[in-house]
Amino acid sequence: MSKNPSDLKTIDRLIHEPSRLMIMTQLYVVESADFLFLQHQLQMTPGNLSSHLSKLETAGYVEIVKEFIERKPHTALKLTRKGRSAFKEYQQNLKQVFNDLPK
Amino acid sequence: MSYHQDGLLDIFVGVYVLSFGFGILLMTVTEFSTWFVIPAIFPAIMVPIWVSAKKQITMPRIGYVKFGSRGANKLLAIFIGLMVAGLGVFMAFTFASKSQAWALTLRNLIIPNGMIIIGISAAAISSLFAYTMGLNRLYAYGILTLVLFLTGHFITIPFGYFLLTIGLVIIINGFVLLMQFIRKHPLLQGDETHVEKSL
Repeated sequence: MSKNPSDLKTIDRLIHEPSRLMIMTQLYVVESADFLFLQHQLQMTPGNLSSHLSKLETAGYVEIVKEFIERKPHTALKLTRKGRSAFKEYQQNLKQVFNDLPK
Repeated sequence: MSYHQDGLLDIFVGVYVLSFGFGILLMTVTEFSTWFVIPAIFPAIMVPIWVSAKKQITMPRIGYVKFGSRGANKLLAIFIGLMVAGLGVFMAFTFASKSQAWALTLRNLIIPNGMIIIGISAAAISSLFAYTMGLNRLYAYGILTLVLFLTGHFITIPFGYFLLTIGLVIIINGFVLLMQFIRKHPLLQGDETHVEKSL
């Protein structure tokens, strides 16, 4: 069991939310992806996805690059260095919480 | 979701195998001994078409993802290595089929078991790609190739026809996958514009 229940406080709640966790996981394994790709992968509505992305961008975890490719708007998304290390830390903290649980 | 569910890879691999088949048949019929030029120049012509097809068909439907260069380089290294090895085997096969003294040993080894060697090699290469890329249908292509080539070891049919058969099967499957992909992922309008406004 976790020696100190307050260890759970180390879990980053911004990442822990299921939709954002899926976004972070997807972006963690790639260099970058566009909005459409994430939408298809995660089966989320555009509004829902953009709302979560905005929160992650505000936290400095995700970089959103808006550009035009062949006159069409294109949104490229990638994890920032801060986002990548926050995700690694989240992984370690969560693993620690489960490791401390009795078998 | 795989980036190769669109069947484009199958269509282009199928056409590539067909070009080998036609090249070999051309050599059989017309004594055109430099048949391997056809599959050798094929990638230079077809790769830009494949990239363009991906941009026109796949990306507008499922979006674009850029993987890290580490994994891509590994796959590219395997691909180039296998292409070079494959071309080497085919050239060895071609040279061994001529009666040059230095090639006798090679000839005695390859010619009687050519179909088995190529069948096993093709199945192994196919399985390697299937494992690396997570595409189970490549295992099926490997098994099909192995079965056809093992059959070819016992039945006297020109080698080119086996390649034509394999190529056609892969192309047909590719087109079926492409149709399914287009039906499953219709073009969405306005998603990106929506994001542009909301983000």
